Amino acid sequence: MNDQWTERLSEYVDDELTDSERIALEAHLQTCAHCTTIVGDLRRVIRRARMLREQAPAHDLWPGIARRIGATPAPTAKTVDLAARRRIRRWSFSLPQLAAAGIALMMVSGGAVWLAGVRAADPVVVSINNPPNATPAVIPATVRPSASQSYAAAVADLERVLAQGRGQLDPTTVRVIEQNLAAIDRAIADAQRALEADSANLYLNSHLAETMRRKLDLLRQAAALVPVS
Amino acid sequence: MNELGLGVAILEHEPTGRTDPDAVDATLAASGDASAFERLYRNHVPRVYGLVRRMLNDDDADEVAQDIFVRAWQKLGTFRGEAAFGTWLHRLAINVILARRESLGTRRKRYIEGDAVLETLPARRPGPEMAMDFEAAMQRLPDGAREVFVLHDVQGYRHEEIAKMLGLATGTSKSQLHRARMALRQHLER
Repeated sequence: MNDQWTERLSEYVDDELTDSERIALEAHLQTCAHCTTIVGDLRRVIRRARMLREQAPAHDLWPGIARRIGATPAPTAKTVDLAARRRIRRWSFSLPQLAAAGIALMMVSGGAVWLAGVRAADPVVVSINNPPNATPAVIPATVRPSASQSYAAAVADLERVLAQGRGQLDPTTVRVIEQNLAAIDRAIADAQRALEADSANLYLNSHLAETMRRKLDLLRQAAALVPVS
Repeated sequence: MNELGLGVAILEHEPTGRTDPDAVDATLAASGDASAFERLYRNHVPRVYGLVRRMLNDDDADEVAQDIFVRAWQKLGTFRGEAAFGTWLHRLAINVILARRESLGTRRKRYIEGDAVLETLPARRPGPEMAMDFEAAMQRLPDGAREVFVLHDVQGYRHEEIAKMLGLATGTSKSQLHRARMALRQHLER
């Protein structure tokens, strides 16, 4: 059985009728059991739809995606890519540049491992005395401006968390974090200076992006040491 | 404005007030960081995959879901952080799904033919023996009604947005939704 209101019942449950229509329909519902039943069912359908769960694929789709975007799922992907790039283009780097990059990355890696150990052994809380207020303009040439702003905002946010948690952390922890952050900032600055002379250098851009990522990772790990109040 | 003379990007924040990690990963991925993009994939694939499965059939779901993430990788440069990454990705996913429908040539008539199919559904509420899984019942809806239902009732889009996405009149979106609901009410678990 249908009447003039049946087709409007979804609009009613979605609150899309005008006031006068709604008043008229509600008066109708007082006397029409059929429409009242449908309204109840429509609401149940809506609730049921909202309860639907997300669905993960049966198989991991990432390997196929990684292949199509030119990334290898294994962590050696960047090495492979860089080797291919070197075959295409000849680069020139100064020894100090390479040495600085190597030392910085070793320090960062060591710091990260050390932090992981600290966290596992002793749930301390960190605080930094001098959170770097000025995030250097550290964006590789390949990163768009809005991305650079997002990065700077993320770094500033994590630094703020660390600053607020200061005083709750072991001083040794704080010192190691600061030393590693300083080393990363120096590596970033070095890469930026080198890019000023060769902004199209793919290796330098890649190295800078990687170093920035390491800074973010280190800040994340350090921020995770700060207990949530 | 910052030192670069650019406006400040808006980052979505979680209730804790901390930066949305998706926005950070999207930034890194835009610079070529595939591991950051993989994190985005892991976070979002269940929702994207669910959308694909509900709007298309199971046979195409894996391939279309992959297409969506490949397209997202290619389009990361257009993500400006003004909305949550998930919102941006979701909209992109819908565009890919609709394009797939176009390529299959199934789009044109389904809003018309769909009405006829809906009429073939039982006119009376079935008994418990006819109750079926709600997801399966959704799959039996005509394409047009299913798309509108998924976008409105499952994904939460408004009729005006749906009409724009699907190239329909708002009234058509409303009528398709009502018909879908009326069909599905017969398959509610009792």
